[in-house]
Amino acid sequence: MFGKLTWQAIPLNEPIPLVSGLAVYLLLFVLIVWVLAKGYGPYLWREWITSVDHKRIGVMYFLLGSVMLLRGFIDAIMLRAQQAMAFNAPGYLPPSHFDQIFSAHGTIMIFFVAMPFVIGLMNFAVPLQLGVRDVAFPTLNSVSFWLNAVGAFLVTLSLLVGEFSRTGWLPYPPLSELRYSPGVGIDYYCWAIQISGIGTVMTGVNFVTTILKLRAPGMNYTRMPMFCWTALASNLLIIAAFPVLTATLAMLLLDRYLGFHFFTDMYGGNSMMFMNLIWAWGHPEVYILVLPAFGIYSEVVSTFSGKPLFGYRSMIIATMAICIISFMVWLHHFFTMGAGPVVNAVFGIASMIIAVPTGVKIFNWMFTMYGGRVRYSSAMLWTIGFMVSFVVGGLTGVLLAVPAADFQLHNSMFLVAHFHNTIIPGVVFAVFAAYTYWFPKAFGFVLDERLGKWAFWLWFVGFWVAWAPGYVVGLEGMTRRLQHYDDPQWRPWLMLASVGVLIILAGIVAQVAQLVVSIRTREKRRDRTGDPWDGRSLEWATPSPPPAFNFAVLPNVKDQEPYWDIKQQARQAMQLVTPEPEYQAIEMPRNSPTGFVTAFFATVTGFALIWHIWWLVILGLLGAYVTFVVFAWRDHTEFVIPAEEVARIDRANRAARAERLRELAR
Amino acid sequence: MSTEVLRAPPDPYHLGHLPSAADAPPQSTGHGGGGPAPKRIVVGYGFWIFLLSDVIIFASFFAAYSVLFKATAGGPTAQQLFDLRNTAVQTAFLLLSTFTCGMASIAVGARSQKWTQIALLCTGVLGVAFLTLEAREFASFVARGAGPTRSAFLSSFFTLVGCHGVHVTAGVLWLGTMMAQFYAKGFRTDIRHRFLCFTLFWHALDIIWVAIFSLVYIVGTLPPEFLP
Amino acid sequence: MSEGRNGTLPEYEAGSYVGGDLPPGDSPDARAHSLRAEVGGYVTGLLLAMALTIASFWVPSTNFIYGPALAVALLVLAVAQMGIHLIFFLHITTDPDNTNNVMALAFGVLIVCLIVFGSIWVMIHMNQNMTPMPMEKMLQMQP
Repeated sequence: MFGKLTWQAIPLNEPIPLVSGLAVYLLLFVLIVWVLAKGYGPYLWREWITSVDHKRIGVMYFLLGSVMLLRGFIDAIMLRAQQAMAFNAPGYLPPSHFDQIFSAHGTIMIFFVAMPFVIGLMNFAVPLQLGVRDVAFPTLNSVSFWLNAVGAFLVTLSLLVGEFSRTGWLPYPPLSELRYSPGVGIDYYCWAIQISGIGTVMTGVNFVTTILKLRAPGMNYTRMPMFCWTALASNLLIIAAFPVLTATLAMLLLDRYLGFHFFTDMYGGNSMMFMNLIWAWGHPEVYILVLPAFGIYSEVVSTFSGKPLFGYRSMIIATMAICIISFMVWLHHFFTMGAGPVVNAVFGIASMIIAVPTGVKIFNWMFTMYGGRVRYSSAMLWTIGFMVSFVVGGLTGVLLAVPAADFQLHNSMFLVAHFHNTIIPGVVFAVFAAYTYWFPKAFGFVLDERLGKWAFWLWFVGFWVAWAPGYVVGLEGMTRRLQHYDDPQWRPWLMLASVGVLIILAGIVAQVAQLVVSIRTREKRRDRTGDPWDGRSLEWATPSPPPAFNFAVLPNVKDQEPYWDIKQQARQAMQLVTPEPEYQAIEMPRNSPTGFVTAFFATVTGFALIWHIWWLVILGLLGAYVTFVVFAWRDHTEFVIPAEEVARIDRANRAARAERLRELAR
Repeated sequence: MSTEVLRAPPDPYHLGHLPSAADAPPQSTGHGGGGPAPKRIVVGYGFWIFLLSDVIIFASFFAAYSVLFKATAGGPTAQQLFDLRNTAVQTAFLLLSTFTCGMASIAVGARSQKWTQIALLCTGVLGVAFLTLEAREFASFVARGAGPTRSAFLSSFFTLVGCHGVHVTAGVLWLGTMMAQFYAKGFRTDIRHRFLCFTLFWHALDIIWVAIFSLVYIVGTLPPEFLP
Repeated sequence: MSEGRNGTLPEYEAGSYVGGDLPPGDSPDARAHSLRAEVGGYVTGLLLAMALTIASFWVPSTNFIYGPALAVALLVLAVAQMGIHLIFFLHITTDPDNTNNVMALAFGVLIVCLIVFGSIWVMIHMNQNMTPMPMEKMLQMQP
């Protein structure tokens, strides 16, 4: 009746997952009760859960990423603690747990922290920067978000009901086949990622269409902000790569559920093919994460240097070059698997070539800063921290791209240090910079700068203290994923790494404190004009937070930094230069519960598939199909914002900016 | 629903630039600087991009099939199993259904309810016929001990061709929904947009089938010494 | 019909928009309201596709093509037929109105080629470098 699900699925004899799972669900329960008791339920449903507004969805993605960052970081602390303790000792985590924790750490950080952060930021900023009202398919956008949330939910559920996979963040066969992993862990992993993967592909479709077909009048390709270019490249990669992930995990699931033989070690299966296909996704994936990060840095550097981005066209070429080449390097993740010297050499050279356009970008950012009036706000500090750190990470990457060197260093801590060195300064710092940069636009008040700087320095120092030892022990021979070790040479470095993790923890505490303090004192830090940083692109032309329709009239774009030019003209004339437009009513898409309801049925279906409860699978799929048909049968898809409302909001915006001009004149 | 003939994108927003400015002739919408594209283009292009992602799923299954083609684990091989006459009939059905789908889009363009329903019905019948033949082929393989669990080659064959079959099934369900919607709601704009997406989908399925019947079925029955 | 959100223009109609972008799948003939040209296009495509299909089935059963080149010949015929479908049924052209559609298609084709041919190339080398196995071990792998 309930498939494989029994009461034994709850880990009563394993204190760590039991306590943490109970804690998570207790917290969730208390939160829901509090929200409903305070009467926030209808507001949340109407304004957030059923919202199809890209700004709201972007904030929700960011929230999802933040919550999962805490979970993934706790996993990291547990791993570091185990390795600090387990010198000639068992440590406190039995191997089966340790395996689940490092698998969960990687899976959560890539799929449910970095992706939601990056997608959330693209959601929030891209339509505003393009000067349009929303993305191409707003309801699809909501569905994408909720499907991503389902994936995160299922992974979290594995804490309390069942177990998680033990194969690392990529489930290599034959270990991940049914024969060697008969439990539900791999199934939790696969279904969570398949479901959230559907959401991600839909995001890719949405944003490619938006960037290519929905831009303000006059915005040619060479007038788009750099963040939109990198978002385009990233979303093209999503469309190209995620289907490969879907197909490969589908093949693994077919092996596990229906006894197929794609990757089994008998009947002709070929386990090596899994590595080949999964990394054909896996390498573009890291560029999916890092390209928007580069775009964020471009925005921050030009804004806080007071100069246009240096070498805009070369940046475009570099971005698209990275996009294309990233699909030609995937074998460098398995040089040691035995493809032979010719194949290894080709992919090794390609991996080195891809460093060149990245170098072009770094030089362009430096040249943007040169000769500008640089303001060292916390967003700029994150950027400079990135530039300094990422170069090291990138160089170790080029080192690893030499197949002969990789034969020594594959799967060592050197490799682990390399990818943390590129992802943390590359993606995580960008997310934090963008958080500081766009928070005022989203919420109408600026974050506390002092705590922001504290957070940066703690993260920056903590990161280096945590990961520089990784390079050292890697060169000394330590492999990854060790539950215990006995080489005394590594011990001091691993202890140092644990200290680093604690420093990062302090940085996270500073960030939480920053948010709390900023909310408490928000009236003092209100962004009244909508342009707190003296910005250059179109999102700064809107009030903070922007109204649902973003722009009262779509701006007419004449060159690459449209808002900056209007602003300069206004400053010279000491008054607003654009006359008050003729306001018209605006049609906006209606909110829709489709996303949330689809997610509900996806959760049911995913859970039922994991536990082999077949009748529930059918019910879940039926529910999802019915939801889709109900949505497709809608007759009223839009609502109208009357012209007077549009006028009122825009006049307030214009008045605030006129006031600011008068202040500047004095 | 009025049919407006547009010359160039109008400028309904009176965007405030000085009238004496030498504006470049308005560029076409959606590409270059003409402003946001009309909804039909947005919907069609979005679905086109989605189709590309779907094609890449098929490419992954194709890659797996190519790699595992020789991994028959002592079981039946392609030469022993594939019946090219069945494949030829399936191909004929699908190709004709693509043609009738094209006729349906002409009928929709001409707003003829009768011809739309007839053409869509033909497309659906041909699609179901295709699926019936495929199901029979699969069943016969399984009955001969050549099911997907027999060997890696068979796993990859069933997955690749089966994935195509699942897509055709979804297409037939979509087709039924489109027939119902046209009948119930007429030629409303958003329904015509969805139909545009459907035609893209259906034609793409035939394109994938071209690759399958050539490179899976016909190549599979070539004498082994002719294969790379 | 009023303007949609995003300030999109009044509804574009297949067959009424003069100059500018085209969605994939819409034909310039539809724009020109020529029923004869439209049906003619589909019929031509159907006949060409049928010819190529028949050729694909026929070619392996004769000596027309050199044996080892048969697989390549079938690939070429398949690609040609896909082209026919794209041109006649999906109306993909090199018109500047179709540029976005062609670019997307080209990108897709590139990725497909990289994945399929890349995987085949890599896996052939991998398999070649597998340790040769004695016969008993091979049989052991097939219960």
